[in-house]
Amino acid sequence: MNQRSLIRADFITAVVLVTLGLATLYGAWTMDRLEIRRIHPASVPGLVPGGLGLAIAICGALLLIRSVRLGGHRPLSGDGSFVQWLRSIEARRLALATVLCLVYPLLMVGWLPFWLATGLFVFAFIVVFEWLPQDGEAAPSPSRRRAILFWAAVQAALVAAIVSIVFQELFLVRLP
Amino acid sequence: MLENLDMLGVAVAHFLTFDALLNVAWATLLGIVIGSLPGLTATMGVALLTTLTYHMPQDQAILVLICMYVGAIYGGSRSAILLNIPGTPASAATSLDGYPLALQGKAGYAMGLATTGSAVGTIIGIVCLAVFAPMLAELAFDFGTYEFFWLAVFGVIISGQLTSLADPLKGYIAGFLGLMVAMIGMESVHGHVRFSFGIPEMAGGINLIPAMVGAFGFAEILTVMKRRRAEIVAKSVDSVFPRTRDLWRYKRTIGRSGILGTFIGVIPGVGEDIGAWVSYAAARRASKERDQFGRGSYEGLTAAETGNSAVIPGALIPALTLAVPGSAPAAVLIAAMFIHGIRPGPMIMIETPMFVFQVVAMLLLATLAILVYGLSLTKLLIMVLRIPREKLMPVVYVLCVIGPFAIYQRLFDVYVMVAFGIIGFVLREMKYPMAPLVLGIILGELLDKSLRRGLILTDGDLTPFITRPISMVLWVTTLIVVLMSIPPIKRGVAGGVRRLLRRGEVPP
Repeated sequence: MNQRSLIRADFITAVVLVTLGLATLYGAWTMDRLEIRRIHPASVPGLVPGGLGLAIAICGALLLIRSVRLGGHRPLSGDGSFVQWLRSIEARRLALATVLCLVYPLLMVGWLPFWLATGLFVFAFIVVFEWLPQDGEAAPSPSRRRAILFWAAVQAALVAAIVSIVFQELFLVRLP
Repeated sequence: MLENLDMLGVAVAHFLTFDALLNVAWATLLGIVIGSLPGLTATMGVALLTTLTYHMPQDQAILVLICMYVGAIYGGSRSAILLNIPGTPASAATSLDGYPLALQGKAGYAMGLATTGSAVGTIIGIVCLAVFAPMLAELAFDFGTYEFFWLAVFGVIISGQLTSLADPLKGYIAGFLGLMVAMIGMESVHGHVRFSFGIPEMAGGINLIPAMVGAFGFAEILTVMKRRRAEIVAKSVDSVFPRTRDLWRYKRTIGRSGILGTFIGVIPGVGEDIGAWVSYAAARRASKERDQFGRGSYEGLTAAETGNSAVIPGALIPALTLAVPGSAPAAVLIAAMFIHGIRPGPMIMIETPMFVFQVVAMLLLATLAILVYGLSLTKLLIMVLRIPREKLMPVVYVLCVIGPFAIYQRLFDVYVMVAFGIIGFVLREMKYPMAPLVLGIILGELLDKSLRRGLILTDGDLTPFITRPISMVLWVTTLIVVLMSIPPIKRGVAGGVRRLLRRGEVPP
């Protein structure tokens, strides 16, 4: 992330932090004070969360002022723009990794047998990233692709079997 | 003193069994491998391995985790030297001189120096741990709720400041966010459930291990997959055995770095990377060959490696005696200790005095193991670095998913891991340090409980929080740290000091 993008990101984060801090403060203020249990008023459960909400809101406000002074409130354009970054190989790699890493635990584990979900994830991860050309490299040839598919399937089967057996039989975990 | 030495002897003898030595051997080797692979950090290694130690006996489980910790911090030097990418953040300073040495064809010698530096640094820290931990535990008896409250505040603030020197505000924010996370779930004073939003699993709070696996595992996987592939510079290596005269020539640097590293380790939540940088900077200032620093200096490399390894025993001093971690992996170790029924804190020298000496013995064995592996397995470790990330990362991620699940066998912990992974990645990309966040999560309950219990004891009066001697030292230090992070105040103080110094130069 370059300096301009960082300042812009700081501006957006600051808005989120101020909102989070104020929401926490409100949540702490309206939290049950347990009067019915006659607790000491200085020990109400919302005391520390309220203080933390205030601290986060203040820090967020300081970050907001600093980023506005540096021009973080103005949208990025040109070299540092988000759209331009999205077109880079780096962004494509990050997006692919994020999607694969979210689909596996959120949509596969718990819905498919664990060994199958794991095998599919490992296979897909290896194939996707080995097929994706590296910087300055050509896309893999058809024979190389066949080799990638074969070895990815072997590794996927091994990982799925070993992890399932170790956790289920050795650590007595009821797999999801 | 003699009694302590006797206990240390018993502790070492306790681990001289086949099972224990086998555990030392595999856990340290696994730690070195994990540390040497860019993207796999010591914190992640300790957090993931914790999920695999539930069925082990208490002492063996902690032995395995400490060996992983020591091995991973040391292992980071491999990729720092060969790839110019620190395997763990702790080795960032190592790459400054290690990589130029590798380019000069001295990769093997650089790794040998890193090995001996790490071993000596850990030993200096171990001596400090054995001497000072019992003393600090005794001092900790003077800590009441007021002092613990300020200790938690001090820890989060100092960690935020030191891990983000260029922008302390981000360090403080990370610390406060960590404390906020700790507020989720049932609080310990009145048993009231906070911020659960009607989700039953949230009532139990956010577990540290899934959060750490996410923030240090999943987030690192995303970071590694995003960046370009790195090439190994050394295809073969020269001699790995450092010359005695080189080590003797840098004896002052080694001693200084060991002590500085241990001291940095004791400071809550600061960690190995800062230990290495501080040792490196101090060595450069004091060196006669400072122009060589950054171009392949043996002295710079030795200082960085001695400094980061000395942090490990240093970080365990407050972790054992106050339950306040000196580094992120030490925070995970504290969580692991609780899981295995060990209660770190002021009572440790009363309840389980032998455990402190067992930790010293564990560190000694781990140090011995890194010395053996470091000087004998150089070629194997270069092969490990050749494993393509495309093949390695999915395996690591599978462990990141199943590891947290194995704790309570509920999918909620997997979702926590995923959430913290995304949050950790975004925060790291925006230059927020992770150590204060971890420290905040672990110290949140202590801060909350201590403040409210203290206020109940004093009927709402804040005076003891301010006037008790240890409290006063802690809050005054915290205040000075915060004030000095405000640029106008910092500039004003620096200007005042300069004026005073100039006035001192003028003869009366």
